[in-house]
Amino acid sequence: MSTIKRLPKWCFSPLLILIISGCTSVPSEKPSDSDESSSLSPFSSTYLAPQAPATVIRGATLLTGTGQQLDNADILFSDGKITALGSEVKAPAEAVEINGVGLWVTPGIIDVHSHMGVYSNPAVRAHSDGNEAVAPATAKVWAEHSVWPQDPNFEKALAGGVTTAQILPGSANLFGGRGVTLKNVPSVTMMGMKFPDAPHSLKMACGENPKRVYGEKGGPGTRMGNMAGYRTAWIAAKAYDKSWSEYEEKLAKGDKSAEAPGRDLEMETLRGVLKGDIKIHNHCYRADEMANMIELSKEFGYKITAFHHAVEAYKIAPLLAENDICAVVWADWWGFKQEAYDMIRENAALIELAKGCAIIHSDDETQIQRLPQEVGKAMAAANRMGMNLTPAQVIKWVTSNSAKSIGLDDRIGSLKAGMNADVVLWSGNPLSVYSKADKVWIDGVLRFDRSAPELKHTSDFNLGIITPAGDRP
Amino acid sequence: MKRLSITSLFISLVISMQLGGVGVAKASDILIKNARIVDGSERGLNELTDILVKGSMIVGLGSGLSAPQDGRVIDADGRPVSPGLFNADTQLGIVELGSVAGTVDSSTSNENITASLQVSDAFNPSSVAVAYNRSLGITHSLIQPSNGTGIFAGSAAVVKLSNSGNIVVKKAAMVVSLGQAGSELAGGSRAAAMSLFREAIEDARDYSKNRDSYASGSRRDYSLSRHDLDALVEVVQRRQPLLVRVERSADIERVLEFAREQKIALILSGASEGWRVADKIAEAKVPVIFDPINNLPSSYETLGSRLDNARLLHDAGVKLMFTGMGWQNTHNAYLVRQSAGNAVANGLPYNVAIQAITSNPARIFGLPGYGQIKVGAEATLVLWSGDPLEVMSNPDLVLIDGQEYSLESRATRLRDRYYQRAIK
Repeated sequence: MSTIKRLPKWCFSPLLILIISGCTSVPSEKPSDSDESSSLSPFSSTYLAPQAPATVIRGATLLTGTGQQLDNADILFSDGKITALGSEVKAPAEAVEINGVGLWVTPGIIDVHSHMGVYSNPAVRAHSDGNEAVAPATAKVWAEHSVWPQDPNFEKALAGGVTTAQILPGSANLFGGRGVTLKNVPSVTMMGMKFPDAPHSLKMACGENPKRVYGEKGGPGTRMGNMAGYRTAWIAAKAYDKSWSEYEEKLAKGDKSAEAPGRDLEMETLRGVLKGDIKIHNHCYRADEMANMIELSKEFGYKITAFHHAVEAYKIAPLLAENDICAVVWADWWGFKQEAYDMIRENAALIELAKGCAIIHSDDETQIQRLPQEVGKAMAAANRMGMNLTPAQVIKWVTSNSAKSIGLDDRIGSLKAGMNADVVLWSGNPLSVYSKADKVWIDGVLRFDRSAPELKHTSDFNLGIITPAGDRP
Repeated sequence: MKRLSITSLFISLVISMQLGGVGVAKASDILIKNARIVDGSERGLNELTDILVKGSMIVGLGSGLSAPQDGRVIDADGRPVSPGLFNADTQLGIVELGSVAGTVDSSTSNENITASLQVSDAFNPSSVAVAYNRSLGITHSLIQPSNGTGIFAGSAAVVKLSNSGNIVVKKAAMVVSLGQAGSELAGGSRAAAMSLFREAIEDARDYSKNRDSYASGSRRDYSLSRHDLDALVEVVQRRQPLLVRVERSADIERVLEFAREQKIALILSGASEGWRVADKIAEAKVPVIFDPINNLPSSYETLGSRLDNARLLHDAGVKLMFTGMGWQNTHNAYLVRQSAGNAVANGLPYNVAIQAITSNPARIFGLPGYGQIKVGAEATLVLWSGDPLEVMSNPDLVLIDGQEYSLESRATRLRDRYYQRAIK
């Protein structure tokens, strides 16, 4: 169709609409000790933080991610961990001292909905690796197996303060596959970016995308068809879970004659969800559909961690809060399809008002570069409505709440002693259009420094591509 | 937000409801006191000015102006007033919902209609996106067609987001896609797109001189339909600029050369690699429309895309017009100010960014009354809660031709319904 030609390629190409419409899911944590889960050990993280000097930033404005703003405060980190914050923090003699007067500090920004590496730039067909759109249920695929670490988007996100990103498959499918959480560090392999011991997610998708993609390819072709598709899969997963649980029980009792059931990658992922090891991140726009999905999760006994895009989350804010489900939303995207018609700019704020878990995501390679600005827009709209939100409260939407939804809030997302030293130093209030990330540390290692372009890592893709001596800017 | 503006918002809502919800308050004379004028012209940073609006015009600027009889007085108390903002590339009023075909009028698959498509014929001022973006500070836009089957997409129009008289320039620019998009439309190869482009322009010239023989059937065949040729005659006779979508520096150079040979008035759109040939664009006095937020190599023709493209083009002397933000440039057309703000964060002078979303498009598309705050200009202006380029600012008052428009939209109606439930 003709509009494809000129409109932003990726939002109108059929595949890409899927992307926009969302994708999501998060995995879970510890490897279990069954035979089956030993299959989780391949593709383990090989990330190791290099040695870095202790660093102290003094006299800055700190947004802690725990709801506090500390003015004229210091923060010290060493050996990859935050060790102290407050006033007149004592630092070891060898610590790098940074004058933070007039500057702001936040935890590293976390994007829980990114397609970096799976829809890499240039957005050529060969880089379209985010939707296994050949069947509506593909819980068996893992986004990490599509990740191209040389995607030039990663370094741009880093310059916007993004230290961690959950990479999700697209939303063509009812079950899109497993998502993976990456540290935003340069690496030749995916494993070198993979966040150690982070849970997997499973992306599920409601609504228009699956029914559009499969409506003429055997279904589902309707929302009721979508629902039947999920239920059919969960019934099979329950049976699979039972056979494996019985086997594991026999093994535990020392029954050496016990025979292992056959492995099934699709079912392994769903079983991981039923066991609570894999987190459900569910692309879903409409309030009524989210409510149906909550019923579905109760029917089969699994937990939904987050609804993504969730344009109508504000209509069911108390229900989401009651069920401890995060609403992962844009500040203002709307109008690209029917289920994205009822956007309000105060969506995240109404979730906050209901004491729920609000998160701002990008789902976009441009917006990921300035997520705090998205937060700023949503905060300003909320305050115009009559709320009185502050930067200290809303920075959670891209830090600690995000960390919670990917099962990493014990390590990242807030400035507290003992947390990973993922720290961003901003030129001003990070919610302002004029502020930029000046320095970004991951595990205490300085990974981006606007004042030291010579330290800047650039993707292999960028080398010599403008002129032999000139890299991509 | 200031208490006063809440009151005025409330009043405007009441009035608009009495008028049947069309979103416009009764016109009355207005004195805005103590405003900081932001219109891209050099002024003292802390200079406060009173603005007197009578009917549809700005009739007074200065300090200590006296209140109009029967009029309203609004104390801006230092808040900025800018012209209503202009987004130079949207599909406001021609696309309601992107994936709902019946609401999409931006292109056609009819092969006989390319250059002759006029988006103004389809413009719907009642679109929800129009009221929404107006309430957030957009008053004007260049609405552009998408390509259908040919490299010519049709005529873009300048619209005003008012309730009447909204088609300001019906045939503001003829849109053509070259580069990669042109290549795809031409069956592959940028060279094929250039060939079609040349042929069309030559045909239009020949046709313009031989209409009678063409009508009598004694002229050779042309590459386009009669209506498409009629549309292109406007371009070859320099009555309408040609807006060329092109990204790569080499493609830009070729287009500049062709337009010079053919004596065509040119506007470039996209120009991700414009910075590499900025001097040539400046020398040709060709203005550029683009979204300064773009910095990614989304295709091989945007490898040179960078956040300081705006600054580099400006430094070379190129006139800028902005769109944005990102692919949401229609439904969130108002975010062109976020794109402009980010251009400033990346080195573009503040006033130049303001000009790119007000006075530059006004001058380039021939809207003498719009685009600056001055006596005799149309009273199309926005009073802001803070710096208009700051993402945390919002409009407190929107006037188009002196008429106040409600800050309400479908989105705020939904918001209020659920907020009221939540705080009950």
